[in-house]
Amino acid sequence: MKTKFKSNDRHIQQLADIVGGAKSILYQKEDLIAYDCDGFTLHKHLPKAVVFPKNAEEVSEIVKYCAENNLPYLARGAGTGLSGGAIPLNGEVIISLVRMKRLISVDLENRKAVVEPGFVNLKLTNSISDKGYYYAPDPSSQYCCTIGGNVAENAGGAHCLKYGVTTNHILGLEVVLPDGEIIQIGNDGILDQPGYDLLGLLTGSEGTLGIVTKITVRILKNPEGKQTVLAYFDKVEDGSRAVSEIISAGIVPAALEMMDKIAIEGVEAAAFPVGHPLDIEAVLLIEVDGIAAGIDEQINQILDVCRACNVREVRAAKDEKERERWWANRKTGFGAMGAISPDYLVQDGVIPRSKLPEVLNRINQISEESGLRIANIFHAGDGNLHPLVLFDARKQGEIEKALEAGSACLKACADVGGTITGEHGVGIEKREEMRFVFKDEEIIAQTNIREVFNPDNLLNAGKLFPSPGRCAEIKREMKEAAMSK
Amino acid sequence: MSVRESDLNQNLPCSANLGNYLWKDPPDENKWADCVHCGMCLESCPTYEQTGQEQHSPRGRVYLIKAVAEGKLEVNDQFSDPVFACLDCRACTTACPADVDVGGLIEEARGQIRQAMPLAGWKGTVSKFFLHGMFPDHNRLNKLGSLVRFYQKSGLQRAIRKTGLINIMPDHLVDMESIMPEVKEPVRKRYKNQKVIKAQGETKREVAFLTGCIMDVMFSDINQSTINVLTRNGNDVTIPDAQTCCGALHVHAGDREMGRKLAKQNIEAFADAEHIVVNAAGCGCMMKEYAELFREEPEWRDRAEKFSEKVQDISKFLHDTGYEKPKAELKTRITYHDACHLAHGQGVRQEPREILLDIPGIEMVHMPNADRCCGSAGIYNITNPEMAGAVLESKMENVPEDVEMISMGNPGCMLQMAVGVQKYGRNQKIVHTVQLLDWAYQKELDGKESESDENKI
Repeated sequence: MKTKFKSNDRHIQQLADIVGGAKSILYQKEDLIAYDCDGFTLHKHLPKAVVFPKNAEEVSEIVKYCAENNLPYLARGAGTGLSGGAIPLNGEVIISLVRMKRLISVDLENRKAVVEPGFVNLKLTNSISDKGYYYAPDPSSQYCCTIGGNVAENAGGAHCLKYGVTTNHILGLEVVLPDGEIIQIGNDGILDQPGYDLLGLLTGSEGTLGIVTKITVRILKNPEGKQTVLAYFDKVEDGSRAVSEIISAGIVPAALEMMDKIAIEGVEAAAFPVGHPLDIEAVLLIEVDGIAAGIDEQINQILDVCRACNVREVRAAKDEKERERWWANRKTGFGAMGAISPDYLVQDGVIPRSKLPEVLNRINQISEESGLRIANIFHAGDGNLHPLVLFDARKQGEIEKALEAGSACLKACADVGGTITGEHGVGIEKREEMRFVFKDEEIIAQTNIREVFNPDNLLNAGKLFPSPGRCAEIKREMKEAAMSK
Repeated sequence: MSVRESDLNQNLPCSANLGNYLWKDPPDENKWADCVHCGMCLESCPTYEQTGQEQHSPRGRVYLIKAVAEGKLEVNDQFSDPVFACLDCRACTTACPADVDVGGLIEEARGQIRQAMPLAGWKGTVSKFFLHGMFPDHNRLNKLGSLVRFYQKSGLQRAIRKTGLINIMPDHLVDMESIMPEVKEPVRKRYKNQKVIKAQGETKREVAFLTGCIMDVMFSDINQSTINVLTRNGNDVTIPDAQTCCGALHVHAGDREMGRKLAKQNIEAFADAEHIVVNAAGCGCMMKEYAELFREEPEWRDRAEKFSEKVQDISKFLHDTGYEKPKAELKTRITYHDACHLAHGQGVRQEPREILLDIPGIEMVHMPNADRCCGSAGIYNITNPEMAGAVLESKMENVPEDVEMISMGNPGCMLQMAVGVQKYGRNQKIVHTVQLLDWAYQKELDGKESESDENKI
């Protein structure tokens, strides 16, 4: 399509023609600077351009153009990712999917909905809640993050303890592959297809295998009832013992969240305080849901467990309003760190629940060694720990210190048999830390899969795996060894 | 006492340059230090909703403002666009987990832009005429009002509409013209010779009333209603003569110098007041933020802070000091629109709703996204008609069909929503919250009178 738009840069001109002109492309520095990072702010790079396609066909055209002209490119949603997955490290053309934000269809009978990738997570629940349904994965950024981004990162959330993460809710995808072909995977929402699990492979691939342009998700019936308990502990050990004992009592809470002392200081200083005491070491937020009849009994059981674990104060929410207030306080926890620190780096380790006191001690040590404060927000039920390293980027050397401290926290998680990411993805941030959990051969096996989809590595290069130097060498050695056989 | 000219013109010491901000009163570093780039503000922003572009989001704007301070960008047209495309609706401040004052940053950045690139050509002339010549001068505004009154009364309005002359005006001005409320006599004129408008019955408090510019000229009946409900509830009302425009439009436009001048005049004009009541959300919000204008003048900053503590929106004032519940019924279905500068700017959400619910016979219908900007945003609908129109369209989609009135607390919104009602073929009446309360009181009174008339017979 020819447009009125004129640019001296051939690529900009061609891309503008694909997406329909000036209103759908950004290419001047002042406009691009807002795209030089996402929710992870420690690496920055200007993109070549940002384009705003309206449909899968335009995405495909852009991808083909980039492939033909050897231009690196990547997809971006709301840019709330915390590991830098949408940062244009190589001066990429950013394909912004936020204008593809339609809710295409809702099929209540078969409990599924079809959305475009730019559709905001919470809007799905808001669109179907009056009919008694909801979309379960609830990352804390659900007010603004897109479902396309959730698929890329395999996002989790507070309620994923009981309901599973994004991958457990994806029934079908339309994907633009790096050669421009538009493919469908998943068969109209029928679970368990024969053949390889491509849905599972694409979900959480961090935008390195293809660009998702349509998503079929599973929707759930609202639980009949839910209730939330708040518990304050003087000692982290007691809080963490309560977590283990609730699970071993056979209760499967919908959510089981913990915040430590510094995290409490942050959320209480920010926009949604609830009045948590500042002298406790841990607050637990425990939610149960399901058939109304069983809920009171579970709540009583939880109250008993907490009391047996030396809780200072424990109570159930007196109404929906209070429950919402507790959750708003928790869900804005990361952003709230802005109230007590100019910058933060959030980590995303996973550990066996029983190792919590040990790991928290280690994190305390790391904090002391680095001289930086570290807050902890924790999806305690599934062992997903978020240490928030607080720092001030304006101070010389603090960024490096923060990165080191963050990495050390992940090492601590890996050392007790855990892993380096639960839900935020690897992105740029944890590339090198992949070595804590994978051997070189294992990493190569994975980049080999990437090559099947993305052979020229123009799509979101430099993410998810450690820098190629060492890998390339090993790969060559492996090839040579294979040939000499 | 009026403000001395020398106070206004003195050259304030220029704070050390902040990157490419070369003028005094630059954006406040501490305001963006709170932003951790989380993106929780994105969906709250009407211009991001329309464009999907991050330089038109709160996070993006804060980032650009910071980039100028870091010397990465210059103050130029490309920077100015997103900064001036902001509606200043403050929805992002409500959404922000870290309480980043995006609105304050935007206003400060606009101040720098206007000093770097003064408006030239016809835009400059028009802006100067209205912002300097008109709004601060209530006599001139009244004359303009009289002119509008003449225009409406003389039949000229009818003639122009009939002859199609209106079609030669730019579209968005035609929209505005056709909804102009019928202009009545301003209260400042009516009560010119009355030092105190006495409370009905026992005096409980004395309040000073800011009549506003647009409010008194275009919506003087709302000002009359405000005085009525105040006096009805035991308040003596004064209208300090030296008061002037609150300066919100100037500050939004980046003319902070004029904003300071007007602020100083109001601070002095209301120096003796114990309570300062405002019925325009935009004015109230500005007056609560005067201290922001005096970051480099500590003495005035202190005075501004004390002044701002006394300022209250009429609905909050009535709610906090107590009001008589009307007994007469207004049988009507209404919905309520949150003016941005009331809900996001001053945190006043429940108070007006409670007042409305206390009026017998009023049925309130919920408006989804009631606190979403209508696109008025001061004079934004005149300066950025395209965006304002798009924002208005999504607002109107949320207005329930089956209501007779839309109640709100800000004159800018009232004009814009009236455009919306007209443009989308709806038939709701646009009213100020305080009018409904006043009408209920009036009806009660009428009822009593006719009752006593009946008794006579």
